[in-house]
Amino acid sequence: MLGFIKKDLLMIKSNIKIFAILLIIYVVMAFQGQMDLSFLLPFMSVMVMMSTFSYDSYNKWDAYAISLPGGRKNSVKAKYLATIILIIVTTIIITILSFTISYVKTKIIDFENITGTIFGSLFATILLQSFIYPTMYKFGPEKARIWLMAIIFGVAVIGGFIIQYVDFSAIINILNLIEAYWIVVFLIAMILMLYISYKISERIYFKKEI
Amino acid sequence: MENILEVKNLCKKYKGFELQNVNITLPKGMIMGFIGENGAGKTTTIKAILDIIKNYTGEIKIFGLDNKKDDKKIKENVGVVLDDMFFPEILTPNDINSIMKDIYKNWDSKLYLKYLTDFSLPRNKAIKTLSKGMRKKLEIATAISHHPQLLILDEPTAGLDPVARNEVIDLFQSFIQNEECSIFLSSHITTDLEHIADYITFINNGKIILSKTREELLEDYGIVKCSKEEFEKIDKKDFVQYKKSKYEYEILIENRKVFSKKYNIDTIDKITLEELMVLMIKGEK
Repeated sequence: MLGFIKKDLLMIKSNIKIFAILLIIYVVMAFQGQMDLSFLLPFMSVMVMMSTFSYDSYNKWDAYAISLPGGRKNSVKAKYLATIILIIVTTIIITILSFTISYVKTKIIDFENITGTIFGSLFATILLQSFIYPTMYKFGPEKARIWLMAIIFGVAVIGGFIIQYVDFSAIINILNLIEAYWIVVFLIAMILMLYISYKISERIYFKKEI
Repeated sequence: MENILEVKNLCKKYKGFELQNVNITLPKGMIMGFIGENGAGKTTTIKAILDIIKNYTGEIKIFGLDNKKDDKKIKENVGVVLDDMFFPEILTPNDINSIMKDIYKNWDSKLYLKYLTDFSLPRNKAIKTLSKGMRKKLEIATAISHHPQLLILDEPTAGLDPVARNEVIDLFQSFIQNEECSIFLSSHITTDLEHIADYITFINNGKIILSKTREELLEDYGIVKCSKEEFEKIDKKDFVQYKKSKYEYEILIENRKVFSKKYNIDTIDKITLEELMVLMIKGEK
């Protein structure tokens, strides 16, 4: 398993410069207080990992991986874990920087606000990964992008429809109720999303004719 | 003799192509050359042996173990070169070393780095910067650096210049010095197989049409070139296939001695694998 995770992480080492540039942009913007770009690095983690699907497909890695011990079982798992590792690392870096910048600027750490923003971006990133990866496995990296656009468009249309015609008071009541435990609820939701997404991807991969 | 690879009644259907009851037996310590024209079913057979493709029927045993049930155990001891399938090309030979250390229990970093040096392969350059021949050498070095007992190689010498091909063939021959090891390789370069293969298996249109030892094929089989009149005197039962060219008939025969005695012909040329392939595919009965 470790070998397969390493393979995915080594594939993105050439993107370190992109991460470094984004980090500088984030720090500059945070000091100026113009825009909160906490989401940038975790979001970029998923984007960069998405590019590995294209390389895998181009070099027919999936077929080769199956010829290696544990290849069929570990390929999908490794892709998810490598992405999560990258998201966690970038989130930790952003969290430390956010606290430091907040302290340097105001001599106090705005714990609640920073945690809220970072959790929000983490949730959005995990949501993105959970949606994209099964489409990548199902349709391949080329077609997946088109399907992804279709999914986003579909969700936006359905969402718009729901907002217009559905009474949200019950949902708001539930949100008020869980306010104190929001971190736990968010964490459980993220783990659930990832687990369901992983199981779908694994099922697609196992059934796929490679 | 113990068999290292056994394929029984392998069938797989695609639209417009079908593998039909493929049977292969490779004894321990031997090299089997797997030949056939493009699209004959060589890669599909190899993919089924490695359980890469789905929905095939038949029984495949490697080291006496079922290729599906004992997948991990088998693959720890199998080295593979697949045609156009490898690590993503942005990785380097050093990356492969680092990855394989955690994939194979018996990965031998020292041996792998030795092969890189022997093959003059750079360690830190991305695979995409390597020439086709260098890339092939890297694939071979990767396939044999965990001391496998069986090598399954799909076109391992394709794209190599004669010197490199010679190096690789020497490597295969030294690999087979250990009598526990075997090689199953497909190749279009039939002259390579004439040098190293103990067995030749020939696949055409998804069916095995011939599987013999190299001696049987290259010593017993022969090619008779004759005129139309001479050809008409030959009994159909006495030849395998024939091919008509502008000036003569080429006849593939199964046993040179028997044929020569029956038809009173002094010398009958031995056949090369290339001639055999052409006559078996393009010839008529």
